[in-house]
Amino acid sequence: MSRPLRRVLLVDDHDLFRAGVRSELGPTVEIVGEAGSVAEAVPLIKELDPDVVLLDVHLPDGGGQAVIVQVAPERPGVKFLALSVSDAAEDVIGVIRAGARGYVTKTISGAELTEAIHRIADGDAVFSPRLAGFVLDAFRSGEATSDPELDQLTAREREVLQLIARGYRYKEIAARLHLSARTVESHVSSVLRKLQLSNRNELTRWAAQRRLI
Amino acid sequence: MLAGVCSGVAKALGVDATLVRLTTALLAFASGAGIVAYFGAWSLLPEPGEQAPSRRRRMAGVVLLVWSVVLALRGVGLAGGLVGPLALVGAGLVLAAGAVSFGLGERRARLAAAILVVAGVVVFLGENTRGSATTLLAPGAVAVALLLVLGPWAFRLARERDAERAARIRTQEREELAARVHDSVLQTLALIQREPNDARRVATLARRQERELRAWLYPDREPAAEGTLADAVDTAAAEIEELHGVRVEVVRTGDAPLDERTRALVLAAREAMANASKHSGVAEVSVFLDADAKHVALYVRDRGSGFDPEAVAGDRRGITESIRGRMERVGGTARIVSSPGEGTEVELMLPEAAS
Repeated sequence: MSRPLRRVLLVDDHDLFRAGVRSELGPTVEIVGEAGSVAEAVPLIKELDPDVVLLDVHLPDGGGQAVIVQVAPERPGVKFLALSVSDAAEDVIGVIRAGARGYVTKTISGAELTEAIHRIADGDAVFSPRLAGFVLDAFRSGEATSDPELDQLTAREREVLQLIARGYRYKEIAARLHLSARTVESHVSSVLRKLQLSNRNELTRWAAQRRLI
Repeated sequence: MLAGVCSGVAKALGVDATLVRLTTALLAFASGAGIVAYFGAWSLLPEPGEQAPSRRRRMAGVVLLVWSVVLALRGVGLAGGLVGPLALVGAGLVLAAGAVSFGLGERRARLAAAILVVAGVVVFLGENTRGSATTLLAPGAVAVALLLVLGPWAFRLARERDAERAARIRTQEREELAARVHDSVLQTLALIQREPNDARRVATLARRQERELRAWLYPDREPAAEGTLADAVDTAAAEIEELHGVRVEVVRTGDAPLDERTRALVLAAREAMANASKHSGVAEVSVFLDADAKHVALYVRDRGSGFDPEAVAGDRRGITESIRGRMERVGGTARIVSSPGEGTEVELMLPEAAS
């Protein structure tokens, strides 16, 4: 399958990690720029207007969240994929709620990262097993709230997320649930939308609890 | 106009110079208070191009200003019996507030201020009260005066002590961090440097180190107060990583207490992880635990070579006994989904106990 060349900007404060990513990405991805801090990243993204920004959740002068908040209003076309070594749920959920289209851990292989970049560039969402676990936790069954459409996952979405948490890839999920790959994508995107827009009490309470512990 | 005092004061206060000059002129008529105040302010204000006036000039300035207040109060007709004590108290308060800027030792300034204030209060009481009221009033007034003078000082002492404690805690944390980095990270790095060519060993060491650091950095990832199911699954995964040099990625939602049934599930899961590590030929195993009070589901999945479950000979005792048998004995189920080339998934289910 031939894929369009995607322009990617890499934001991470670790030179070594940037070098590693640079050497591992496939030929269908071009790194157009790199930044090591929020202050460097924001003007560079606005100037270069890349397809996808690979964004470290933790940066010395703020977080990945700060970059998204400052860039998104001016460059709505730029998509963000969060990368992190963090296991802290509030970091991950925080950057997703700020507008990132996906989250992967830094142990991801070069091939998988390339795949994830294309998926993000195509407008889909990328959930790692860990993110799926967090989301299932956050939307764990509870009382119906003011906006059930936004505040709850459908049975199908839950099923898809569980399979992601179990380590299934989208294609494998599609085969298992007898769905098209496209449908799986749309379920994941729908979950992402709920995660970003829901005011569900559970979600905020849950995030708050995590931060307190 | 004389020494630029009025404009200086105006500048310091941020008001119009004319206003200050007018006030000074008016005060000059009140028993000469304005004139004394003028010289007091002159002593206090820095010379042009100077940072601050000398200590002696500042002292003189304060004395002159207090004196001018006394004169002004006299001028508006307050009784001498009140003005004297007021001056003493005022001087005491000024001394207390400005101890540091006068270059006095904190303690000495406080003491002097306290003596001045107490003296002021005592003189006032001595002159203005007669009879029984004194015995009640005097101690109270002295106490209030002392509180005014010593209160801020005590408050600051307490704050300094808090700051010291915070600094001490920070130092302790830094030391703990240094100790931990030394004991774990540096040791691991040294080991890796000694055996850089044994890729599997390097990966195992790095992974063990990562696990340790994570447990320390994100303690809320281990809600797993020891002795819960989630904790036991994590521990089993860590052991398998150590034993077989693979990466076991555990994702979990929810938790359950550890009892006879969940313990059996952990053992079965551990066996499934070990099988995946040994036979699948891949370096990563995914584990997903989904638990609540009613039911527990655990999945162990690899993307390796897979096998035909029907064709498994009796010698693969691991699956029949250690996994399936274990689950069935506690009322659960084990399902193995695998086919050659497609990887393997083991599903362990524990429904609500039917008791």
